[in-house]
Amino acid sequence: MDALLHVGLFLPLLAGIALLIWPSLGRRLAVAASGVTFLIAAWLFARASGEAYTFQALLLEPIQMYYALRLDGVGLVLWLAVALTTLLAVFIAKVPTRMLGWALLMESGLLGIFAADDLILFYVFFEATLIPSLLMLGLYGGRERLKAAYTFALFTLAGSLPMLAALFAVRYLGGAPSFLYSDLAAHPVSGSVADWVFLGFLVAFAVKTPLFPLHAWLPSFHAENHPSGLADAMGTLYKVGLFAFFKWAIPLAPEGFAQFQGLLLVVAAFSAIYAAWLAFAAKDWKRLLAYGGVSHMGLGALGLFSGNAEGVTGALFLLAASMVYTGGLFLVVGRIAERTETLEIGPVRGIAKSAPALSVLTMFLVMAMIGLPGLSGFPGEFMALLGAWKISPWLTFIAFTAVIAAAAYALTAYQALFQEEQNRVVSDLTPREWAFAVAIVAGVVLAGVYPKMFTQMIHPLSEALAKLLGGGA
Amino acid sequence: MITLYILGAASTVLTLLGFFVPARVTRWLATGSVAASIVYLFFTWGQRQTAFGGLYVVDPISQGFTLVALLGVLWALLVGRSEKWEFSLLLLYAATGMHFMASSPNLPVLLIALEVFSLPLYVLATWRRDEPGFEAGLKYFLLGALSAAIFLYGIALHFGATGSFNAGVQGSGPLYAAALLLILGALAFKVSLVPFHWWTPDVYQGSPTTVSLMMATAVKAAGFAALVRVLNVQDQGLWGLGLGALIALTVIFGNLGALAQRESKRLLAYSSIAHAGYVGLGLYSGTGTAAIGFYLLAYLLSTGLAFAVLAAISQGDVPYERLRGLLYRKPLLGVAMGVGLLSLAGLPPFAGFWGKLLVFLEAAKAQQWGLLVLALLTSAVAAYYYLRLFNLVVARGEATEAAIPAPGAGTPVLAGQSAGGLSLATGRLAAWPLVIASALVVLLGILPGLGYRLFSPTPFAALSRPASTAPATLPATFAITSPSDGAELRAGEFSLQGTGRAGETLEVWDSGSRIAEVRVDERGGWSLVLPSLPGVGEHTYQVRRPGEGEGPSVRVRIVE
Repeated sequence: MDALLHVGLFLPLLAGIALLIWPSLGRRLAVAASGVTFLIAAWLFARASGEAYTFQALLLEPIQMYYALRLDGVGLVLWLAVALTTLLAVFIAKVPTRMLGWALLMESGLLGIFAADDLILFYVFFEATLIPSLLMLGLYGGRERLKAAYTFALFTLAGSLPMLAALFAVRYLGGAPSFLYSDLAAHPVSGSVADWVFLGFLVAFAVKTPLFPLHAWLPSFHAENHPSGLADAMGTLYKVGLFAFFKWAIPLAPEGFAQFQGLLLVVAAFSAIYAAWLAFAAKDWKRLLAYGGVSHMGLGALGLFSGNAEGVTGALFLLAASMVYTGGLFLVVGRIAERTETLEIGPVRGIAKSAPALSVLTMFLVMAMIGLPGLSGFPGEFMALLGAWKISPWLTFIAFTAVIAAAAYALTAYQALFQEEQNRVVSDLTPREWAFAVAIVAGVVLAGVYPKMFTQMIHPLSEALAKLLGGGA
Repeated sequence: MITLYILGAASTVLTLLGFFVPARVTRWLATGSVAASIVYLFFTWGQRQTAFGGLYVVDPISQGFTLVALLGVLWALLVGRSEKWEFSLLLLYAATGMHFMASSPNLPVLLIALEVFSLPLYVLATWRRDEPGFEAGLKYFLLGALSAAIFLYGIALHFGATGSFNAGVQGSGPLYAAALLLILGALAFKVSLVPFHWWTPDVYQGSPTTVSLMMATAVKAAGFAALVRVLNVQDQGLWGLGLGALIALTVIFGNLGALAQRESKRLLAYSSIAHAGYVGLGLYSGTGTAAIGFYLLAYLLSTGLAFAVLAAISQGDVPYERLRGLLYRKPLLGVAMGVGLLSLAGLPPFAGFWGKLLVFLEAAKAQQWGLLVLALLTSAVAAYYYLRLFNLVVARGEATEAAIPAPGAGTPVLAGQSAGGLSLATGRLAAWPLVIASALVVLLGILPGLGYRLFSPTPFAALSRPASTAPATLPATFAITSPSDGAELRAGEFSLQGTGRAGETLEVWDSGSRIAEVRVDERGGWSLVLPSLPGVGEHTYQVRRPGEGEGPSVRVRIVE
């Protein structure tokens, strides 16, 4: 099993580098590499026995830093989501070949984030993923790409450095013998140090959740990225904040988390509503999806910060599910934009008549995003809100309006594009797009009708976290 | 010893031979002798040697810092080809001085070594023979002379306070503090810590780019080697505060200064100032030699890449705009520049990240939280200006300037610059150092242990061991078995040995400050070669579990 772990992690990296050097290898290589990675993720998922897949090798002896991987239930579910979305993205997006290489580099970084079991290794993956993401934006983005790239880099780096300080503090003030998760978790920091450590992590992870007000990089990031949606889909996968809170910030400084919990719940709820409000006002599809994503992550954060098993499981399920459907929506929007040459909502109307299958596919993903029962968006949202309800019914009630708002803004935009009086004839799904549609619909439906397959992997770990925090509810 | 012989003999012989053979031959011989020294260093890595009654010592500090300095010189030799043979010769003399600087614990010898490598640099700074060149040379010379005087004053006070010319001897009182502060100030000039940095931007800009490259890398390595020896005293007191102030000022003004630049060489000059500040963080814990060494190596490779690319564009000024779209015009230069800049910015997975991480860890170990936070904040500023340049390099189109010589493409194109007889490296030669350095930056970024272990007291240990599962409860069975309590030892090298539970990590303390961490091997034993020569006098070595206050200890007396 060891070998598969490493192959899955580094195959995209190698394929990506090969594509950057020899772009003539073409899309086939990208699809093959990400396909194999997906199969590996699925194989590991299917063979999971409740025991995590682990590997450890000392990388830097004097400071006791390990190349340590640990793929537990949560990691497996997220690997599956990342691998599936990347595969679909490189399969469908119409981009220069080298861009596919950058996307593959990013996939390796993302898989590493979810597998790293050493805090420094995690930091390395967390930071290194920034480079391909930044380059995709800087090299292939729209007219204002440099400004967007600066904003993105600034937020990310400004977040990462407090995290680096927290990383040192958690080791040397907590007294752990190494940077391994197990050692650090056995020596959590306490007192006012815990507050500062958690705050350090909080800044870094809030940027990547993203939570208000640290979401400000996101709209321009999406709006300026390549219209194909490849970079947007990969960027959606890079929103690893919820996972990072779950795996690192909360267990390493539980006392700090307890200090900030009330504030965080309010911020999460506000984030959900505020972003939903902005999504109403969005004039183009990418901004709409960007704000929609922020809004949904706000709901997820509400569940996670509630600190009980249901809420945490819901948050992580929602994270994985939203990677697939939001990423998928970005890609579909990219295909539509290729046909209509605009991302704006309004000018092009009524294309359902000429492209019924495309319309159904879009509708399907929009429904998943809204949280229609039976599709993958519902179980996560429901559990997250259920968990939050247990500790703060009023806040949950207010945040719930974001779910209703999602239905309104997403359906309004959908209606404008597909349903109103036709002013444009576009072609329907190509065979390649049909394959894409079948795959993503299968995934979304499977997670929607049989969520237990995934939640049973997540739940034991959520319970452990809830226990650590004193039972939550 | 052989390293010194090779370098010394080669410089002497070439001084005479240079008159009779073509410049090309001189350059090849100089390059060859530096390369031979490096190879010899590797073959004798980890072996210790003393000569001239302890005035010349080969130890991990000497080997590690010499390696960095020689690599810097080698690179300058490869990148900057001169039509005049003196150019290579002067570099060789500088290399000799730097090696001696890294290898002597004796203060007067350090001063001589400092002068030996500084004099050639004063000449090299004026190499372009134009107005900025003369300004650079004169500035460098005058301030260099001043710092040498300060150094000398410090040595005198040091002798007065301790009765010893050896660096790292523990003393006390205001005289001793003043001595250390003066020496610190003099060396701070060489490694350009604020406020001793004023010469740096002008000199880097006025000198040929290849010379700036060497000043930024090799000179810093030599300077920090001396600092590591001088500041290796247990009681920090006043110099600790002084160093803290220098570091704080350096990271703030170095980075802010860089932010305001519009010309690449000045940017790299300010960046070299800022980096000196980060390296300084490693001086606090007393165990930071390896971290400092690794940082300097990573910095050498990354900033060397940036300087080499600039040198390929012009030996003179390179305004930012000339870098626009470099990646598309000259892919190799673009990639090398990109890798160098990302590494300088401290992004993983490049070597520069680990350098930063390791010195920051040393600061954390020494509980210097204030400086650490300041260093982190300024790192964000640094990342911004490196990324700005990086963005220009990868920016598409809109190229305003096309005359950039291609590596491997024949005749150099000097864009309106008279390089004073210094031609550009444009042959195939210029390409492969760039490729090798870029590869090393990535390699050290992925496997930092490869570089870090070079600077540790026990290099070339097994690359990775299977992780032993940490035992849940540890019985209190660990001790120091050698030397015995109350032993009297002669100054020089010795090792501590002891027992412990297999796999655990123990801390070794010397008279109340932590000097090292050791890992107990499978058979329950450990041994530590002391990372530096302990000062004369009484020492209490204690071994502790991390986080615990006390542990078994031995008292030893070190005698001359």
